[in-house]
Amino acid sequence: MELKVNQDNCLGCGVCVIACPVNASISPENAGGNGAKTTEVVMMVENGFIKLFSPDKCEECGTCQMFCPVEAIWLE
Amino acid sequence: MIKNTKEIKGKDFDVTRSADEVRNLSFKNHICIGCGICESTCPVGAIDLGDVATNARAKVDVYFSGHDKIAQNINEPVDLQKVNVNEDKCVLCGMCSGLCPVDALVLTIDGVPIAEIDEYPSYNVYTIIDDDKCLLCQKCQNACPREAITIKRQLPNRVDLVTGEIEVNEEECINCGVCSELCPAEAIVVDPTTGQESIVIDKDKCVYCLVCKKVCPVNAIKAVCRSCSYGEYDLDPELAKVKGSAIIEDALCVRCGWCEGVCPADAVEVKKPFEGTLVVDQDKCGTCGACVDLCPCNALAFPISEGPGSRMEHVIASEEYCIKCGACANICPNEAITVTRTAIDNTPINSITWNKAFDALKN
Amino acid sequence: MPKHIASGLKYLAAVRLKDEGKSQQYIADQLDIDRSTVSHYFNGRNLKWNSIDVAKTITELSPADFLAMVKAVFEDADMARKIVLICKENNYDAMIKESCIGCGLCVNLCFMKAIKLDSLHAQIDSICCCGCYICKEECPTNSIKILEIEND
Repeated sequence: MELKVNQDNCLGCGVCVIACPVNASISPENAGGNGAKTTEVVMMVENGFIKLFSPDKCEECGTCQMFCPVEAIWLE
Repeated sequence: MIKNTKEIKGKDFDVTRSADEVRNLSFKNHICIGCGICESTCPVGAIDLGDVATNARAKVDVYFSGHDKIAQNINEPVDLQKVNVNEDKCVLCGMCSGLCPVDALVLTIDGVPIAEIDEYPSYNVYTIIDDDKCLLCQKCQNACPREAITIKRQLPNRVDLVTGEIEVNEEECINCGVCSELCPAEAIVVDPTTGQESIVIDKDKCVYCLVCKKVCPVNAIKAVCRSCSYGEYDLDPELAKVKGSAIIEDALCVRCGWCEGVCPADAVEVKKPFEGTLVVDQDKCGTCGACVDLCPCNALAFPISEGPGSRMEHVIASEEYCIKCGACANICPNEAITVTRTAIDNTPINSITWNKAFDALKN
Repeated sequence: MPKHIASGLKYLAAVRLKDEGKSQQYIADQLDIDRSTVSHYFNGRNLKWNSIDVAKTITELSPADFLAMVKAVFEDADMARKIVLICKENNYDAMIKESCIGCGLCVNLCFMKAIKLDSLHAQIDSICCCGCYICKEECPTNSIKILEIEND
């Protein structure tokens, strides 16, 4: 199973970045909604679109997919 | 050379080896709890645990533990296969079947499941509802996270429980309809139409509450108390009993113990396969809820907020209802859950390898 | 031709049994042939020598090939087993290690029916083992050990 994104769909809302439990463990300040202070996280919003930084860290829990309002991030 | 065959039926499948004896390993996806014991046990590495987390979360009806707002984001629910067996590697030894805590994988030899063959081990587990003690309250049926319990009950006729009956003196009745409007059982029908006034009492519905008698402005309703006039004559306690029985679908039951926990009559006894502990590291938990959605026992839940500003635990874990299957610990993205098995209750076996496989479940 | 090879193999088996001191009647019963045929065999009649040569060549093949040939030549599996047992060149000492998981694959594979499962552990009857090593090669846990004992 692989984490995938579709930037065409992405609204850049960043809900997935906040919801991702792996992101939270790598960069707890994520929770404030101000983005991570490191690019070590699984995914981040860059220039208004979601971008995968370390998809290999994804543990496939499916939380990002559940929260994404527009099907811009999913496991396949 | 003998070759295994695989027959796939939707999410279920059968792996078969036909020789002098026919060995068949069957997998039932709806029974599987995704614990991964089979994957770690298989001596030939033929089993792969599928995408159990996304699988559990794809079921819209239990989506994210009932958060409807998130469920709305899911357009196409997917039901993935939780376990796959590579038929080229599988040797049909049955270890996965023997160690599967819920009989999702079952090896049969010449049609006989290994659980019924003395040589093979099985867990000493059971769920028994004592029909003599059972009050048929259906609490267990409602609590069961696997919908494995059905309480079939027949209620007595209400008429047999009513202690008296009413009669109306139609000569005195003015068909005002007050009694009909107040009657909680809708047992009185009054037609106030001028010229064709009538009052009808349905004695099957009447509960002898006497509201009508008390409210009648002309005292047209007479009450006949059965207890007073006939003593206990009319009230046969046998007729007042709720009859029925509890049916447990054994294949679905995971021995979580909810039924035992909620039973007000101590009628249920559950024996679990493992003893051990379930610990959540609240600091590591990212509250993604994958464990909550996957847990077959509803032993993990998000706490309900006590009000604004209250600080809650991230996830609450109930050891009482946990079967220590380890599914949650397996899928937690942050390794925040630790499941420890300290004792396993299985029927004795002579095989050293099989005993080792059981011991490997302890940690 | 297969029939001739079968006769050749039966001849070799008859000679082996005779060397073991078995009676002609016993040999005839074992190999399912007439007593007179056995008698003819020992007098060097009724059988072409090249059938015997072919049969001899077969017995000298590797045990696995020998087994495969005998299986192919005899329709009756019981007779094939008997011939292999009598004509095999070596004896074997087979044992199963503790790591056996009791999957029964060897039991299903063994043509000689030399392996049985007992309490989820395979047991090999060394006397019946023909040394083909099929079980050893297929065992998923490498639990089978077969040693060759020289036949004197």
